[in-house]
Amino acid sequence: MLETGDQAPSFSLARIDGEKFTITSGSQSRSRLLVFFETDCPTCRLAIPYINHLSRELGKAGDILGISQDPEQPTRELIAEAPIEFAVALDSDLSVTRLYDPVAVPTLFLIGTDGRVVHTLNGFDKRALNEIATAMAGKPLMIAEPFDGSPETKYGCVSRDLEGDVSGEIAETANPYAKRSARASRIELDDSVDPFDYCMQFGDPLPIVPPTVERVEKMLEACALPPDEVIALIPPNYGAATIEKIAANAVMAGCKPEMMRVLVPLVRAVCDERFNIHGVQATTHFAAPLVMVNGPIRRELGFASASNVFSNVARANSTLGRALQLILTNLGGARPGEIDMSTLGNAGKFSYCIAENEEENPWAPLHVEMGFKQEQSTVTLFAGESPHGVSEHMAREGTQILKAISRALATVWSYRLCAGVEAIVVLCPEHVKTLHRDGFIKQAVREFLFENTGIPLRHFDDGAGEGSQYTKLYKQATIDGEPCYLKFQDASAIKIIVAGGTAGKFSAVIGSWAAGPRGSQMVTYPIAD
Amino acid sequence: MPITLVNPLDETHRPPSAAAPRLESLAGKTIGLLDISKPGGNVFLDHLERLLKQRYGVADVVRAMKPTFTKPAPDSVIAKFIDAKCDAVIEALAD
Repeated sequence: MLETGDQAPSFSLARIDGEKFTITSGSQSRSRLLVFFETDCPTCRLAIPYINHLSRELGKAGDILGISQDPEQPTRELIAEAPIEFAVALDSDLSVTRLYDPVAVPTLFLIGTDGRVVHTLNGFDKRALNEIATAMAGKPLMIAEPFDGSPETKYGCVSRDLEGDVSGEIAETANPYAKRSARASRIELDDSVDPFDYCMQFGDPLPIVPPTVERVEKMLEACALPPDEVIALIPPNYGAATIEKIAANAVMAGCKPEMMRVLVPLVRAVCDERFNIHGVQATTHFAAPLVMVNGPIRRELGFASASNVFSNVARANSTLGRALQLILTNLGGARPGEIDMSTLGNAGKFSYCIAENEEENPWAPLHVEMGFKQEQSTVTLFAGESPHGVSEHMAREGTQILKAISRALATVWSYRLCAGVEAIVVLCPEHVKTLHRDGFIKQAVREFLFENTGIPLRHFDDGAGEGSQYTKLYKQATIDGEPCYLKFQDASAIKIIVAGGTAGKFSAVIGSWAAGPRGSQMVTYPIAD
Repeated sequence: MPITLVNPLDETHRPPSAAAPRLESLAGKTIGLLDISKPGGNVFLDHLERLLKQRYGVADVVRAMKPTFTKPAPDSVIAKFIDAKCDAVIEALAD
């Protein structure tokens, strides 16, 4: 990727309105902003209104070019729908993308009058947007206000030219514009074979619904996409997840046809590079992908979010989680005992799917925190261990509840490991009620937990062990008069969701697998209506 | 009544590829050692490097490390072995 100070390569593209946009080498008459984007990237959609704002502020003086990495039709749809108010050009063969080499979208390059890159911004970051706006306006200009309801920062999606960055035998299926694969083969069973026995080879060790042509056809009818369209290549074997293969696995898991609406974005999400399903599938750790559902889809498809939310309570939860696991093993190849050699495993590998109890959540639900509208349904994935319960029935104050949770958080991964780890805190409605009564907002809960979850330094006196080798990286703080290492690197490592029934003061913490860019990052994808 | 199933398993076509030719001997060869960056990997590879040189007469050992054990090796790491013209590479997992 081009960096600040690099000479901006020259190029010429026809804008979608017919005008020409040219960057010549050397000095420019004025500074210009290039915005690389994709039409299906949630972070790009988040950034567009802010860049519109900049475009309006700069008026004619502003020279902003959106460079779409997608074909004309989806680009025109996004321009109309978002709407995009600045000029847009198509980078049909991704040649300009390769010249500037953004690693993700959106990426902004501000090119100064000397023809060099003055600023770059990868993903969404309000502070950087304001810096770019100020540099272009030549005076302080704030286009992205803090706390306006959007997240302060959000990672982007991988740049189109890198999406299919696989080589060798599967290279031909990795072309993003050739998303077609062969149809699934058919298997004829005569009367002498029990279909339930035969299908035991197709998934988890519990009986599955035989994926007959008729049942799969009903799934396909509920999905607007063609059966041979490849949604993703599933690591670690990079098997092609076509709509038809997803449908066959959904039938086996017991899904209703309308679940295809959720499964398609879920398969995209699980193959998002940031989530790193390759590592999650191959690790010996406990991690399994936890699916968290938000928005109106919960009611529409009957997802349970209240009592027994982690249990066998609703067909929607159980079958969606199971379908994901069947897709991962049947198409990705991570079968237990073969590629998946997890030491102890996780009961969630049968099915691990919850919905947020938004009705009992007085704060912004998870998907709104991730930058989506409340009425937008989403799926979020987190590579997590099994839930670890926190019973706290005696606490009268919110702070006491959070203290109890912080003590469970301290044990995530391994007690003395204080870096590269994250956690989900699942707050039950009764605990939330007390916290809300005491005036806690969600960010205050997060910060309290961050500041109060620590491992006393004296616990590092009993010799070397997991976590003790990294103490130089740890942050120190005094908690209740005791010098401690803070468990987490940053408050954002603690994700909060409200779920469970209204009776019982039981919350839970779910430890992560290796977290961050070196491990797995939580991803949220929108579910289309 | 006979039924027809849709095959739910991976059927992605993968042409077979041949394994690399095997070395007759390690003597005088350049061997790459890939540390996948798990704790203890360097201890194991240091020992392996000594053995390769002392016992098997390996001429040169090239070391490289993945930035994280959770993901496949990036091209830049593999390029280090290719640029050094390694005759063989040993990948070490440790914990």
